[in-house]
Amino acid sequence: MSYQIISIAGLFYILAMPIYIIYMLSKNNKVGYLASTTLLLGASIHIYGFVRRFLEMYAINHSVMRSIPITNLYESLVFFVLSLVIGYLFIEWKYRKKSFGVFISIIAGIGIGLTELLGMAREVQPLVPALKSNWLLAHVTLSFIAYAAFAISFITALLHIIVSSENKKSFKYYFSTALLGVMLFVFISMIIDIITAGNPKSVKMFHSTLGNSSLSIAILSWLSLLGFIFISYKFSDKLVKILKDFRIDDNFLEDITYKGIAFGFPIFTIGGLVFGAIWADQAWGRYWGWDPKETWSLITWFVYAFYLHAKFIRGWQANKTSMIAVVGFIVTLFTYLGVNLFLSGLHSYGSM
Amino acid sequence: MSKFEKLNEKVWDFFSSVDLAVSLFIVISIGAAVGTIIPQQPEPEITVRFFSKIMSEENAIKIYEVINLLDLNNLYHSWWFTFLLFMFALNLIVCSLDRLPVLIKSFKSQPQPLPISIIEKMPIKREIKFNEKSDFKNKVIDLLKKKGFQTDIFHTSEALQIQAKKWIKTRLAIYVTHLSILIILAGALIGTFWGFRGHMNIVEGTGTDFAISDDGKAIPLGFKVFCDRFEVDYYENSAVPKAYRSYLRIIENENPVKFNGKETVLIEVNHPLSYKGITFYQASYGFQPQENAEFRFTYFDKNGKPVPLKAKFEEKFKLPGQTVSVSVIDFSPALGIDEQGRLFNMTTDMINPAVLLLFEDKGKRENQWILKKIPETWETPYGRIRFDELWGAQYTGIQVRKDPGVPLIYAGSILMCIGLFVSLFLRPINYFVTIKNNTICFYAPSSKGKVMTEKKLEEIISELKGEVS
Repeated sequence: MSYQIISIAGLFYILAMPIYIIYMLSKNNKVGYLASTTLLLGASIHIYGFVRRFLEMYAINHSVMRSIPITNLYESLVFFVLSLVIGYLFIEWKYRKKSFGVFISIIAGIGIGLTELLGMAREVQPLVPALKSNWLLAHVTLSFIAYAAFAISFITALLHIIVSSENKKSFKYYFSTALLGVMLFVFISMIIDIITAGNPKSVKMFHSTLGNSSLSIAILSWLSLLGFIFISYKFSDKLVKILKDFRIDDNFLEDITYKGIAFGFPIFTIGGLVFGAIWADQAWGRYWGWDPKETWSLITWFVYAFYLHAKFIRGWQANKTSMIAVVGFIVTLFTYLGVNLFLSGLHSYGSM
Repeated sequence: MSKFEKLNEKVWDFFSSVDLAVSLFIVISIGAAVGTIIPQQPEPEITVRFFSKIMSEENAIKIYEVINLLDLNNLYHSWWFTFLLFMFALNLIVCSLDRLPVLIKSFKSQPQPLPISIIEKMPIKREIKFNEKSDFKNKVIDLLKKKGFQTDIFHTSEALQIQAKKWIKTRLAIYVTHLSILIILAGALIGTFWGFRGHMNIVEGTGTDFAISDDGKAIPLGFKVFCDRFEVDYYENSAVPKAYRSYLRIIENENPVKFNGKETVLIEVNHPLSYKGITFYQASYGFQPQENAEFRFTYFDKNGKPVPLKAKFEEKFKLPGQTVSVSVIDFSPALGIDEQGRLFNMTTDMINPAVLLLFEDKGKRENQWILKKIPETWETPYGRIRFDELWGAQYTGIQVRKDPGVPLIYAGSILMCIGLFVSLFLRPINYFVTIKNNTICFYAPSSKGKVMTEKKLEEIISELKGEVS
């Protein structure tokens, strides 16, 4: 089945993370090649799985345009991760820098891991009538390519804040290290969740940690979350040193942050908002209806518009703009996952 | 300057400021986000029920009063949200009027040499020295021209200065984007004033000449819409609908309206019908049996010849060439069998329609379920009876809309895409080159995309080196 192939790709992504870390510490170019190759191998398997899934759907729908596997939460997450990894590999090739590969592999690993964890329906499902439109392809693929571009700009922006904050008492240092700590905790918690779950179908997120039925373990997990944040706070300056040793310069990070948004913003506008509006107009009889998904897309759009205006007109630089890019991706994430998990609306195909 | 002029200028500056724009981004975003959390429904009970989940009912009622006062349960159409959007539009207009003339003037004005002190402060700088003498000036200019740059040359006392620029006019694109937002807002305004939205449920075989608006008012359409037939296809062995469609007919002044020469038009999800600016969208469907609902069968006689039959509920009918009289005594839209083998009805969707037929022949009474989708059940002691459909028991839910603003929305959307792509993908490029003796310096004034700019300068320099040597 296609989802098993995609899970294997996810394993390669998780595998790439320690190799990237070793590369960063050792600065050995051979290890660097190995890291990139692992990620590339993961992406190739991922593409193969994607094509397999396309064929499985084609066998049901008999339409090329409507068989692109992006019709539910699982498929969209898989496509998002694929776009992210391919986008990263492109940047790595273009700029000849492997400096943030480790974070890409973390997010890619979390992404594929989530599909296992949240117990999403991963079997190929027939299309509901509302999704039977050629706009599906244009609207959803472009939206997710934009999300992936925002994700890349998020990573570089976060790194940029970390790299340029030497003062442990500054707000940006607190901000970035806390976020980093939470990300690490979520990553490790997810691995524990998978290992401890007896039945792979019944895995629940944070079941083994924060939401454990045993009070002591739950408290311990919350404490360790704080611990992670503290460790991240305490040792991020060491990370800064490693990154600086590595000649990762803030210009490069700021550049990628900007490029990610400059690429993602028009794609998101045309694919997410405009195509979405046209499709809604044809399918639901209104181009805009303040549905939660629509509203949060608009908010996402406003945050990135804020970024561009702050950068171009106000001339904000460095950390201020990076901070907006970080917030932008958190909002994007809510638009993508949060709306489906917490709010109800018309975009229910994206729920689990 | 008079006091009035001063005030005027202050107001103008306020509305043309980016600070206002950026603040509006934030305030509108927060407002819109609140609207996705608080239920957007006018009924007080819904709001109170929502809040009493997290607080006592008394407090929830108090909260409702605040919400009602600020229109938070109809936030997107509230006076203050509309006001914010209006401010946003005003800000865009004033901003553009403020900046656009300056930009256009800068295109027309003659380029001037910059003092070297300003050039040297630019964030990106590359310097190369050559040992041999050469005609650097023409080589640099040729190279830049080959790369699509427009060049201006100045002989200043300090050095020879070349200003190169490319895609300068793309600065206008951002005003195209801003204009497109105004067009979209105008389209939305036209839609709210001269358009309407509503829905109508038409039972198969009936018609209606009005729609019901979202706030419950009847909107006369000026013509009558009939639904001749409604169908749902389900995926095999599943309750997931594959497709649903209505066959509509429009009658205006007692005359049928023809579409492409046909009276009946099929509408499906994603395939609406438009007439006189009013669009009909297939939205939903449901089960609502009527008095005149009709069971339709096909009876196959001894020679296998199909004979169509129809009957209402509990109405007796004869099979051709037989003495038996038949009637429908029960109907199930979704007949299922539970674990104990008992029959039950799963839903009101017609997933697996079945009828219970009663056969009465010379005092003998027998009954049998006939399932539409299972041919084995069609065989009866009196011959093969196929259950075709129950006609007139489902309604089609149609979304009705009239919106004269839509063409503006489409035009604005297209403009917005063009404007954004041009302004973000074709950024204007400016290089300054100074040549003094054997030293050539390249400068770039913007720090946006520094790494790539440096890379591109590096490319130009290596090409130049190749040409000189």
